[in-house]
Amino acid sequence: MAAPEIRAARLVRWYPAGWRLRYGAEFTELLAADLAERPRCWRRTADVAATGLLARLSQAGLGGQRLAGADQARASLAALGGALAVFLTAGTAVWSQLLVGWQWAPPSTRAAAVATVLMTGALLFFLVLAVLAAAPIGWQLARRGFRAGPSRVSAALVVVSLLVLVIGGRHMANGWPGTGGHPWPQRGLVPGGVAAFGWAMTLSVTSYWAHPAALLAFPAAELAWMVVSPVALAGLATGLARLVRRLDLSPRVLRYQARLGRLAAADMAVFLAGAASWVLAGAHGPGALFRPGAIDVAALAAMALALAVGWQALRRTAYR
Amino acid sequence: MPGMPGTLSTFGRYAGPATLILSSLAGGAKHGYALSKDIDSFAGVRLAPGTLYEALSRLEALGLIEALPSEDRRRPYQLTAAGATALQEHLQAQRQVADVGLRRLAQGWGR
Repeated sequence: MAAPEIRAARLVRWYPAGWRLRYGAEFTELLAADLAERPRCWRRTADVAATGLLARLSQAGLGGQRLAGADQARASLAALGGALAVFLTAGTAVWSQLLVGWQWAPPSTRAAAVATVLMTGALLFFLVLAVLAAAPIGWQLARRGFRAGPSRVSAALVVVSLLVLVIGGRHMANGWPGTGGHPWPQRGLVPGGVAAFGWAMTLSVTSYWAHPAALLAFPAAELAWMVVSPVALAGLATGLARLVRRLDLSPRVLRYQARLGRLAAADMAVFLAGAASWVLAGAHGPGALFRPGAIDVAALAAMALALAVGWQALRRTAYR
Repeated sequence: MPGMPGTLSTFGRYAGPATLILSSLAGGAKHGYALSKDIDSFAGVRLAPGTLYEALSRLEALGLIEALPSEDRRRPYQLTAAGATALQEHLQAQRQVADVGLRRLAQGWGR
């Protein structure tokens, strides 16, 4: 293969697989001809970068041209699910930090108390929405008897990821810093087991990654869990997103899921407001309890970004 | 909806490239490279490959152009009836603006 063709083939890899399947061969030809005529042209590279990104956003249901029929709604709902997964991972990490503080002493500031109550309420609502969203998907899977190949693989990914998270999370929850003597008689806002599980699930969301020496002093099992748990969380989110994209959900179910998505976005906003009120207030109690750190600011930024992405996805779920 | 008035105005920043592509295809079916050369020759605009294909894919999705079968990697495209209608409406609207602008220039500026 001549040099321009090799360069063209490399550039085309930036486009998503679905796009390449349809336009890849002819686009590579055009790019190769253009490269032969103008070997160095930063505008062409920038153009490929921008339009490739647009094609990726379009395939993800987030921007660019709309996909055909129900594909757009399915892709956008899957993107919303991904944004929600990132939001909940960052949010649960912040929430569990507050719960650790609450387990040891009453909240020292009004901001911490309001934030914890708001976030706990919002998480409970997320749980209700998750059950409502999973019901029609589960029903469709059960009715099909897991016959379709790609759906079966995605369902298996969801089940395996869930098993890893539940078994590993329950095991690692034993090391929860809320366990031990409790000078405060009311013993927290939520049951210790729930708080500990939330803490264990998001153990990887920590500023220790920026301090490798301190991180290496952790027990090996904890370090392994900090690597495995995000992979399992990503597997769960990916499996669910693939299920939504591949199952032939009816227009009615897609509209129902979009309505739940709007409620989820509102719930994300409530949760984010709670977390922000605590982080921005900055005050903390005795010792390190209820003290927001750099990781909480980073989590807040991640949540805000996830909410923005989720909102953008929601705007494109309209399907008739 | 293919062929509806103002279809090209929904293309945003790709409305210009889409108009150029449709105008080129109005003269006959062409593949990507031939389109690029033809547009350069009649409009003096060299469309970057990514922009050209983004506009092509949007036009195809709306049914304004269609791909023809090809034996090699270069696939030719041709204008559809809906594309011809959309192009005609778009160019007539542009001509209306051009006519008004030219008339006012002549009246107010003597040009």
